[in-house]
Amino acid sequence: MSKPDNPRDENPKNPEELRFHYTPTDEPGAEQETENAHAKDTTRVPAVIDALREEFGAAVLDVERYANEDTIYVEKNRIREVCRFLKEEEGFDYFVDLGGIDNFTAEDRYEVFYNLVSTERQKRLRLKVQVDEGDMQVPSVTEVYRAANWNEREAYDMFGFSFVDHPDPRRMYMPEDFDYHPLRKEFPQLGIPGSLPLPPQTPDGDLTMDPFAAAHGSQPVKSYEEPATDPDSE
Amino acid sequence: MAGSSGTNGQGFFTTRVDTFLNWARSNSLMPMPMGLACCAIEMMGFAGPKYDSARFGSEAMRFSPRQADLMIVAGWCSYKMSHAIRRVWDQMGDPKWCIAMGACASTGGMHRCYGVVQGVDNFLPVDVYISGCPPRPESVLHALMDIQEKIRNEYSVVQDYEFGKARERAPIMPENTNRFPGQLEKPKTSTLTLEAPDADDAEEASTPEPVAA
Repeated sequence: MSKPDNPRDENPKNPEELRFHYTPTDEPGAEQETENAHAKDTTRVPAVIDALREEFGAAVLDVERYANEDTIYVEKNRIREVCRFLKEEEGFDYFVDLGGIDNFTAEDRYEVFYNLVSTERQKRLRLKVQVDEGDMQVPSVTEVYRAANWNEREAYDMFGFSFVDHPDPRRMYMPEDFDYHPLRKEFPQLGIPGSLPLPPQTPDGDLTMDPFAAAHGSQPVKSYEEPATDPDSE
Repeated sequence: MAGSSGTNGQGFFTTRVDTFLNWARSNSLMPMPMGLACCAIEMMGFAGPKYDSARFGSEAMRFSPRQADLMIVAGWCSYKMSHAIRRVWDQMGDPKWCIAMGACASTGGMHRCYGVVQGVDNFLPVDVYISGCPPRPESVLHALMDIQEKIRNEYSVVQDYEFGKARERAPIMPENTNRFPGQLEKPKTSTLTLEAPDADDAEEASTPEPVAA
């Protein structure tokens, strides 16, 4: 990118250029056709895709390109090997994020995505695996990327994936005895009444199962009687 | 209080024990800062030098419930956290007071969802609610002054020695003895299935008991 005009110049030579004076100069390469003005070169990884295809063949199911970003669909049972290959051979050393997606479709209802970064190549990569409702088992990548530990716990908590060989498969956010997975599409937004108890309203009382106990007339009271009358009115 | 002077010309005041105790209590509140979210930042402003809750004698934030007598619940409270808050509240010695600070602590606020308690007054006896998201420190000062006003109007001695015996069991309204009041039955999800890890447990846990008419 050529040096832009001085933004304080009263008669800039190229006013259009000034609009992007403060934006990064990371533009898509010449070989990339994209209509997305914000597309970055960092999300295109054709060399890595070729290497993956060579190594894993049919386990690389599909490559999707949207907004100049490559998404690689891989076979669910090979995800750990794919991650290990990417980390050890291709330099994707930074595990950014992992999470679930609920498409609410009859087949391949869920997806798990993996965002990886190579600090050496300065490239980003998104992997996805498709998970059918009938078989929620996904190999854990904690062995490859230790940072995936809590992300997998979160995905288990919210969607109910069971990550095989996860070292600590507990829920991340919800209580351990909670029966549901709240980010599934069928879960009502206000929750299931009675599934999450409130604490007792007295020190030695029972748990409050009604989430709107106060609105239904059961307000907690202090442990001593509050005065009924004003003392100064006597 | 009434002023008087003794035989030797020394001035003294006569007062009721109640008034004296309330005066002392209301000007030495020690808040337990239950900071849960962004309201806690405003609560720090309330305690800091600019807004200066020391003017009201409550600058000593006590992180030990045994030393505190005013709980400021600042921020949204999840169902998981609510049990810890109630436990801390139970550990605070009587007499104690409670401020629900901000929209989330008072009503759940914008978090109308499965994980956030829709108002801490479902499990805590709240004395003063503060509106705002988050409230400004002046609002917290105002709430503190309201608490002081409330304390000054209490029968401290009578409360402690006549009505003061701890209640065996606070009255729980009949609605709360049912697990599910009528308007809160499990939503009808005939077309959707709710999956649970253990089908038997889930059925047992989520089947509403019949509501007494």
